Amino acid sequence: MVAGDDSSETALANLRSDPEAFDVMVRSHQRMIYSLAYRMTGSESDAEDLAQETFIRAHRQLESFRGESSLGTWLYRIAVNLCLNWRERTQRREQLHRDWSEEQDARSPASDPQMAARVQDALLRLPSKQRAAIVLTVYDGLSHAEAARVLGCTEATVSWRVFAARAKLKRQLKAFNNG
Amino acid sequence: MDNSELNRLLRSAEVPARPEDYWEDFPRLIRSKLGRPETPPRGSRRPVLAWALATAATCLVIGFTLGHWHARDRAGANNGLILQNEKFVHEILSMFPNRVRAIMKDEDGLRLVLSEEENVPLSIPLWVKVCQGLKCVTLVTFSGQELSIAGQKMTVLSDASGGVILVGDQFAWDSKWPDQRMKDLQVQARPLEFAFAK
Repeated sequence: MVAGDDSSETALANLRSDPEAFDVMVRSHQRMIYSLAYRMTGSESDAEDLAQETFIRAHRQLESFRGESSLGTWLYRIAVNLCLNWRERTQRREQLHRDWSEEQDARSPASDPQMAARVQDALLRLPSKQRAAIVLTVYDGLSHAEAARVLGCTEATVSWRVFAARAKLKRQLKAFNNG
Repeated sequence: MDNSELNRLLRSAEVPARPEDYWEDFPRLIRSKLGRPETPPRGSRRPVLAWALATAATCLVIGFTLGHWHARDRAGANNGLILQNEKFVHEILSMFPNRVRAIMKDEDGLRLVLSEEENVPLSIPLWVKVCQGLKCVTLVTFSGQELSIAGQKMTVLSDASGGVILVGDQFAWDSKWPDQRMKDLQVQARPLEFAFAK
């Protein structure tokens, strides 16, 4: 998935015992995890917190990780679970964000600089598990099978979530695409 | 809108960039939250280099010591007499205080069996020779050590009267009866009368 994705016994033993090896792992995956967290939350500060929490949890769980999957998949799983829990805790914040977006749209015509915010808003309107499926497959390039391993569900479930998410996103962004 | 158009639109919305020093500091931030000691900043490899050099130097010393004594032993008809050399055994024990479980010599040469922790008490060294046909393993070890010798797991013990006992899963050998055979193995064993161990 990414460079430095070695989950062999030797590499894991190294991660557990060598602080510098853990730093290398963090550096290899930090941007990927931050991007995932941002797309799941739409908030830079929340993405920072969630990315940090991902690596802190990974460090605590290193002893029990046996290399059944790649390091990247394992980290994704931790990050996605944190983001899904975040989603439940911040319903109100999301509602405020939606209200702000609608206000902006009412005031000015859609334009390129706003496009990113509009796309992010559309992502935030998705149910969290559909959002996770889209982020993992579209942005992080995972196959449905790989995303299923991250999300802890079947490949068919991922395919359905991606299908449903695409349908909603197309509706949300249709006007934007037509310019 | 088809899927590829949707993908293009989705991907065009980039994640807001973070400054480079944010990424440089990120691992240090994680470490500080873990409460771990900092590793040296990037670009400073001196402590790692020092450890690497120290390890390399230790390996060289061990290699030279074993090689030196092995050469002397080969000059002495290669019969494992080296393991009965007090100076040699003392040198090895000094290099790894309380960690040497056994010094073994077989057809492949000399090797050390070390404990991961300093938990091997100094006691009278026991010399053991186990032969299976023409293949022999000679070793110096200490009472209480469990070792794999000639493919068999054995515990080497000394008794109160200065004898040596070898105990395996399905056999026991006692130096009081040296001619007994354990399966197809011939055994010799005795304590070494080294001054440093008294």
